[in-house]
Amino acid sequence: MCRRAVVWLALATLGGASAARTQGVPRKDHGARGLLARAESLLADARRADSADRWRAQEQRRARRFDAGDVTLLLPGTVGRAAGRVVVASAAAYLNDLGAVPEVFLRRHVLVTLLATDVDVTLKTEGLLGRATIGIDLPLVPDTLVAGWSVAAAVVRAYEGTLDRAWQDWLPTDLSLGWRVAADGPAAVRALMEGDTRAGAKCLEGEVARCRLWLGLDDDPDPFQARYEPGEIRHLVAQREWFYEPERADAEQCVAGSDDACLRFAEGTRFVPRIPAGAAARRSLLRAVRALHGPDALLRALADTSGSLGQRLARVARVPEDSMVAEWRSWVMTEGGQARVTAGVGDALPVLAFVGLLLLAATRGGRWR
Amino acid sequence: MYTQVLKAQWLTARTAVMLLVVLAFALPLLVVTYGGNLEGAPSGRVATWLFAAQRIGVLIPGLALLLGLLLGLGAWAPDHAGNHVYALSLPVPRGMYVLLRFAAGATLLAVPVAALGIGAAVAVASVKLPSGVHAYPLELTARFALAALVCYAIFFAISIATRRAVLATLGVVCGILLADLLLVALGVESSVTQSVFYLLTTWPGPLSILMGRWALFDV
Repeated sequence: MCRRAVVWLALATLGGASAARTQGVPRKDHGARGLLARAESLLADARRADSADRWRAQEQRRARRFDAGDVTLLLPGTVGRAAGRVVVASAAAYLNDLGAVPEVFLRRHVLVTLLATDVDVTLKTEGLLGRATIGIDLPLVPDTLVAGWSVAAAVVRAYEGTLDRAWQDWLPTDLSLGWRVAADGPAAVRALMEGDTRAGAKCLEGEVARCRLWLGLDDDPDPFQARYEPGEIRHLVAQREWFYEPERADAEQCVAGSDDACLRFAEGTRFVPRIPAGAAARRSLLRAVRALHGPDALLRALADTSGSLGQRLARVARVPEDSMVAEWRSWVMTEGGQARVTAGVGDALPVLAFVGLLLLAATRGGRWR
Repeated sequence: MYTQVLKAQWLTARTAVMLLVVLAFALPLLVVTYGGNLEGAPSGRVATWLFAAQRIGVLIPGLALLLGLLLGLGAWAPDHAGNHVYALSLPVPRGMYVLLRFAAGATLLAVPVAALGIGAAVAVASVKLPSGVHAYPLELTARFALAALVCYAIFFAISIATRRAVLATLGVVCGILLADLLLVALGVESSVTQSVFYLLTTWPGPLSILMGRWALFDV
């Protein structure tokens, strides 16, 4: 770059000199010609160097294959081999922990970072040509821990796209990738407790049917009417100004007290969420199903396409829908099934046995022996 | 004999016991700082309050540990001060004397436990809970008693242990740490310390009583 600047500066000087010459007396200037030849030579060198740099950069970004489990990932060469192995291994670990994406889906896909070059060549040489590609937006030198999550999230997004409409509408972004009950559970409980809807408040108090409504698990033909009370929609609508038709008219009528207008408004705009429970609560439900009913429960539920979402989840849990929702409520509110404070015989026995053991040791030996 | 030992122990430990009584009584009351009627309260307020109950609950096993530490070490303080001459001059077998000391300390332990129970009862009486949320004053008090007892027994035993026993315990601890370092050096992804901690703090481990939930109010 610096070399090129010098060359252009030299050429500009020569150009100025040549222009001055045309204005003045024309005469052969051997010094200037020599300078021009030198500048042209420098320019050629700079072009060769640029081309070599470009070629080197291209080479460095050439796609390189990494595998872990059923996850196949093409990363640019800028990501070192060790870092690449960490990225693909952590992505596989995240996916395994989630347990929602079938192995066959992973085997049919290959993940490709957008900045990798010669992807087609690599796919051909690595025998991956039959596989569909999933693009991932990663920097040239990514943070390995974050990159693992991003790769797994890209797989999850791609898989979500293959599910039926009901699941696609309901599933939270990235499902519950990397979700931990100790760290993320409180957010779900807070969502339940701070929910603005009566369904949420009643769910908190233990009305399981209201939990179903709050979580949007039923196949309600008119979800807004079933899941919200008109006053709740009115409260949401009144929080801001509405300037554009047709929502303005409905919003004004809704705030003025028309329940029908509130429902029309909710249906006509995307302002009022179709599912009152936020992503945090829905993620916790997915995790509860997985934690309580086996690592493949979520996989089976997502593959199911008949009935309401609640029925699908209840089918894999092999319990009635309300029991499944009650299980979730209790699981999430007790940080993953940790029992409330207990002090039964089971708690007392190990303590008493240990105390007895210590006392025995204390009576049999001591400082003044 | 027991009364005499208890009296002697009370004289040395009374300041600590009184301090712990105040703490134990106050801790459950902290949960109800917001106080009042939560029956018709907005769910957000109930949420904040429940979270506060859980956070404050975490302090209770800490208090049990402190109680066990102070009373366990304090149980032998007069004997250590007098080089155990008094104990040796008594016409009772050594085992009996140890039991008397332990029983006296355990009796003193009951005072802060009772204070926590009373504090919990007062806290429960001062709030009207929304449906779906319950209070567990008895369970909390009983768990606190068990946790305090196990901590007390540990420190009581440490305090009277022979130098050889102390060295042996320290040796085991150092051995575990060394084994961990060795595993790290060999690149083995396993931790002996973690495994031992898991064994001790997971049921039926003796310290599992200190783990788990300690919230006075819960679902």
